[in-house]
Amino acid sequence: MHKHAELIEIHQKILSLKNTAEELKQSTGDFPALARNTARILASIKMLELNLSDFVEAGLSD
Amino acid sequence: MGAVQKEWGPYWNPVLETLRHERIRKLQLEKFKRIFKWTYERSKFHRGLYENADIRPGDIRSLEDVRRMPMVEKSMMRDIQRKDPFPYGDALCVPLEDVSEFRQTSGTTGQPVYQPDTWQDWEWWAECWAYILWAQGYRPSDRVFIPFGYNVFVAFWAGHYAAEKIGAEVVPGGVLDTQARILKIQELKCTAMMATPTYVLGMADTARKMGIDPSSLTIRRITCAGEPGASIPSTKKRMEDAWGAKVFDHAGATEIGAWCFECEAQSGGLHVNEAFFLVEIQDVETGEYIEEPGRRGKMIITALDREAQPCVRFDSKDLIEWAAEPCPCGRTFRLIKGGVVGRSDDITKVKGVLLAPSAIEEVVRGIDGLSDEFEVIVDKVGDIDRIALKVEILGGREGERPRIETQLKDQLRLKTNLGYNIEFHKYGTLPRYEVKAKRFKDLRKGH
Repeated sequence: MHKHAELIEIHQKILSLKNTAEELKQSTGDFPALARNTARILASIKMLELNLSDFVEAGLSD
Repeated sequence: MGAVQKEWGPYWNPVLETLRHERIRKLQLEKFKRIFKWTYERSKFHRGLYENADIRPGDIRSLEDVRRMPMVEKSMMRDIQRKDPFPYGDALCVPLEDVSEFRQTSGTTGQPVYQPDTWQDWEWWAECWAYILWAQGYRPSDRVFIPFGYNVFVAFWAGHYAAEKIGAEVVPGGVLDTQARILKIQELKCTAMMATPTYVLGMADTARKMGIDPSSLTIRRITCAGEPGASIPSTKKRMEDAWGAKVFDHAGATEIGAWCFECEAQSGGLHVNEAFFLVEIQDVETGEYIEEPGRRGKMIITALDREAQPCVRFDSKDLIEWAAEPCPCGRTFRLIKGGVVGRSDDITKVKGVLLAPSAIEEVVRGIDGLSDEFEVIVDKVGDIDRIALKVEILGGREGERPRIETQLKDQLRLKTNLGYNIEFHKYGTLPRYEVKAKRFKDLRKGH
């Protein structure tokens, strides 16, 4: 089973991924191909959050 | 290429699916607070409902507090829909342009309810189904055949996307007829499929008529939905025997999501995905909340992560009960015993006795020599209720009619406490259904 530190590290990577995707979305301007694909990436990142980040943020990983 | 296949573990999410119960409850509470706040802030309909009940997001400090919140019924959704923002009305929690999917309920109990989903919701639907398929043993090496009409009903849509998500290969059997579907399964050596129990049995029947033994095909696992059959032992056995495959049940609904599933252990119950859903059980008579195993009640359910048209404390009318024993699969998601055992608005009184149509199905499908099809018609003659049960004897087994009739009457009396007028029909003459069957007809309302 995953250790607490490993889960925290994965959670940090998910957060970083989300921040990057959100920054990208802000900078897509009038570029639908980038904007809409980034929106889909964010929906996928949300699934990572549901599968792990919510659990870590609720203080359940220790 | 002959790459070595990765060895995967039994859980789609090894963290959440094995979390201790008190931790799951804590996660559910945190997620419930979040969806309540989301809904309260964004939906005029929900906000009005909560303000009328004098409850606000800050009032929820425990899962017991949740019980103070009003329930949402399907009829309420019907009342607010087909208005602006068209066609969803005031329950919509996102701008209309964020909606990417439309589905609707089947309308079995009245006007269909429309269900909007964002792309995130659609990812979530597939995620719920990924838990199901993984637990039932689907893996990237599977080739999954999906024989359903892709349309406005959610049915197996999310199963399709989930099969892709877990890495399996999907063969959409959309507009093909049953014979063409069977030939395609045979040609492509498909290993798994998803269908209603009625259609699984109907396909097997068609295959035999084509001279193909369905168990000689390569289908080794079948996921059912839409009807309770896969949790009715005699129907499950018929399907498994016909196809030489393991048959798994799951339950879901358009307004809720895919909320529970049978796992490979087939322990006689379905796991509630408690990381994504909060299930409460309420005694239909007393209104008391049921936590202990073995007491049946109606399900009130919250989808903890659905954003466009949230499902918060939805009165599903489904009747369920918690199982006493944990599942040997190791999942800590609680089991509901025997799946969804009926609906609170489906059980009807005949001659003063409560009758669940699934009990008749269990009897008919358990008798050797009867076909898979049957029809139940409840009517009134004068002031007296009468039940006609139409069945078919399999071709070549007509000589066994006395034994079958005796067995049928005895079992029906034992399981339902009612007497029936049994009609034997020639094999192949009762109606066949492709998706959800309508085998139970109550004509008393017309009198």
